[in-house]
Amino acid sequence: MPTQEPRTRFTAVAQLLHWIIAALIVTQFALAWTGRDLPLGTHKLALLAWHKSFGMTVLMLAIIRAVWRWANPPPELPAGMTPLERTLARATHVAFYALLFVMPITGWLMSSAKNYSVSWFGLFTWPDLIAQNKTAFEALKTTHDYLSGVLLGIAVLHILAALKHHFWNKDDVLLRMLPFTKSKRGL
Amino acid sequence: MRRAAISLAMLCMASAAATVGRAASPVTSYTADPSASRLDFIGIQAGAEFKGTFRKFTAAIDFAPDALASSHFDVQIDLNSLDTMDDDRDTTMRGPDIFDIAHFPASHYVTRSFTKTPTGYSAAGTLSLHGVTKDVPIDFVFVSTPGGAKLEGTAKLNRLEFGVGQGDWKSTESVKDVVKVAFSLILKPRSLSE
Repeated sequence: MPTQEPRTRFTAVAQLLHWIIAALIVTQFALAWTGRDLPLGTHKLALLAWHKSFGMTVLMLAIIRAVWRWANPPPELPAGMTPLERTLARATHVAFYALLFVMPITGWLMSSAKNYSVSWFGLFTWPDLIAQNKTAFEALKTTHDYLSGVLLGIAVLHILAALKHHFWNKDDVLLRMLPFTKSKRGL
Repeated sequence: MRRAAISLAMLCMASAAATVGRAASPVTSYTADPSASRLDFIGIQAGAEFKGTFRKFTAAIDFAPDALASSHFDVQIDLNSLDTMDDDRDTTMRGPDIFDIAHFPASHYVTRSFTKTPTGYSAAGTLSLHGVTKDVPIDFVFVSTPGGAKLEGTAKLNRLEFGVGQGDWKSTESVKDVVKVAFSLILKPRSLSE
């Protein structure tokens, strides 16, 4: 691949993937929190069916996104960031990518362990990853729940950091991920 | 007195003939070995199949490939023994809105007639479930084995025809109407004393 001028914005594809996945994750929390305490019934099953379909969508998009990022490296971080800030930013993003895979996969494992196979919007059924197993289900559920808390935590950190870059540092870190804007601000 | 003796003799002969007739019938009488046999059902929940099994059932199988007219199946299923590998779902299914086992603890299947098919056999019969009795055909293969026989087959039924699914569960949005049944019975000859 010929070397191009360093990118100053995320590509349109990267932006699209970022915002679709962000919207799906917000939806996932809403569905999980609504469905969690319902008794087993058609309403709960419907909410969980959406949760699983969206979760598997996140997993597929995460694969595309990781491949796209590998082929299209993101723009450099602003020059003024301290080593600590850089480390924190990197760690947050690594954790995000890890969770984009781990959350759907632990969910998929949970469904397999509990004998509720995962359908994708009723179009097809994903194969069960493990055999039915109550102990495994409980361990996976605990993991899935705990990691959802971690995801929520780093999402808050991520949003606060983006706002800090925009309003405090006045750099283009937020703008370069926003569609329909131009990153006029210098690095 | 004499007439009475003749009547008695005839009655004895008739009953003896009936006994002999049964014993001489070309069908073999089997029972399903409970530990080796399976009776599963497959529902479709939220677009994905889920399998459950009945842990307790009895099957009296009188069958011979060359005596379909005198063949007969009688299967009793203890609905309380259902197991879908999830306690919440099992409890819900035993409850009043689905099987309602407090009122309908068992299901019963009896055959009426058999026909040969290209791949095996088909039986016409009735299933009693949830207080409703309806025709449900089954397709199966029958293989003689050294210790008895193996009977494997499937059936399909619409749960709502039996009223299995009340309230919200009448909706087929989350649980489809069609339910598949699959069985694999390991048959042992019934001893003559039975």
